Amino acid sequence: MKKFLLIFVVFIFQRVSSQELFLLTDPASNVPANSLGVNVLQSAFEREMTSGYMYSIMPEVTYGLNRNLMLRASAFISNRDSQLVAEGGNFLVKYRFYSEDDLNSHFRLAAFGRYSFNSADIHQEQIEIMGQNAGFETGIVATKLIKKIAISSTVSFEKAFNNNRNILLPNTLGDNATNYTLSFGKLMYPKKYISLKQTNINLMVEFIGQTINENGKSYLDVIPVIQFIFNSQARLDLAYRRELMSSMIRTAPNGVYLNLYYTFFNLKN
Amino acid sequence: MKTLYKKSVLIVILITLFTTASNAQISKAEIRATGLTCSMCSNAINKQLKAMPEVKNVDIDLNTNTFVVSLSENNSLKPSVFKEKVENAGFFIGSLILTTNSETIKSSSYIVVEGKKNNSIEVQIQILDKGYVTDKELKKLSKSYKNSLTYNNNNENDFHIKIVN
Repeated sequence: MKKFLLIFVVFIFQRVSSQELFLLTDPASNVPANSLGVNVLQSAFEREMTSGYMYSIMPEVTYGLNRNLMLRASAFISNRDSQLVAEGGNFLVKYRFYSEDDLNSHFRLAAFGRYSFNSADIHQEQIEIMGQNAGFETGIVATKLIKKIAISSTVSFEKAFNNNRNILLPNTLGDNATNYTLSFGKLMYPKKYISLKQTNINLMVEFIGQTINENGKSYLDVIPVIQFIFNSQARLDLAYRRELMSSMIRTAPNGVYLNLYYTFFNLKN
Repeated sequence: MKTLYKKSVLIVILITLFTTASNAQISKAEIRATGLTCSMCSNAINKQLKAMPEVKNVDIDLNTNTFVVSLSENNSLKPSVFKEKVENAGFFIGSLILTTNSETIKSSSYIVVEGKKNNSIEVQIQILDKGYVTDKELKKLSKSYKNSLTYNNNNENDFHIKIVN
């Protein structure tokens, strides 16, 4: 596994080129003003405690209110308790407050806040407001594009509340955490653009980590992603998530993702 | 006879007004955008530009992120509209070269800081103001034009131009 990772990372850096449309770690850039992004993220994760897979669907809509402000709403549906149940949702606001752009490069900073509600049972120490916990998260994203390499990093604070339906967060678990991400992206195809109709292929690798502030328990995951962009408007992402290290209880850390994304440009016109 | 004379004067005045209005127009804009390398990003700019009714056609060079925008006749677009569209897509203008009637640059909004006025009907001009050049170029230009009374004011309605052709 480690060898595979090393090869993957070397592969990414060999040729200088990129994308920053990461699957799980949003960059500092937003969707265009007045544009609507619609996507459905599906995942199947292997259960650690019992056998089988946990399947979940997360439909999302993302809207560019203006060039700097982006809004997103997501819903979580999963078969955690054998049947597919809508367990919760969340709202995200992201504000790009700094941009330094040059020909084929940029450095951008954005701040974001996410509020989430959820009625799932709480079975793990990991705090995950994207599908597990009710709570909020707030943080800063920095994204650098140098010629064609994109590197993006996030640091955030995440706090879990009791879940809805009076499901209490056990006192023995930490209720707040520090999250950090580091992502790299690279455009593999085409070598040279001819038209907007050309299919683009991107390779990415995303690292996601968390430390529970009260007790220092942590995890670190790696997510290699292959992304196809069709007609400069639709996206298909395939990814695999693997735990690299963990000192906390997690119900289903390893699994796969399938994401379909479509952009509707210029809604107001 | 007198009324006829008055009428013809009115018509002449109207014609003059209309021709002046139609003279003051941009026929082509060549935009080089900054901060992007992906075709989905280029498409965001493309869609913003194409949504303008005055736009006849957009030719894109995806490798250099250059958009050549052909505009309909008698439009009254200002250079700032291109800045607005590119920035709405989430990016910035690295250079903007406009093809326009030489009458246009006689208007008080345009201040020629480089290049000489010539007698040709069409001129190509580059906008040198903040938001129309890269940050690096802006630093250089601000130094070069530090003695200009208007350049460093960054008045949105003043366009400092270089006559390219």
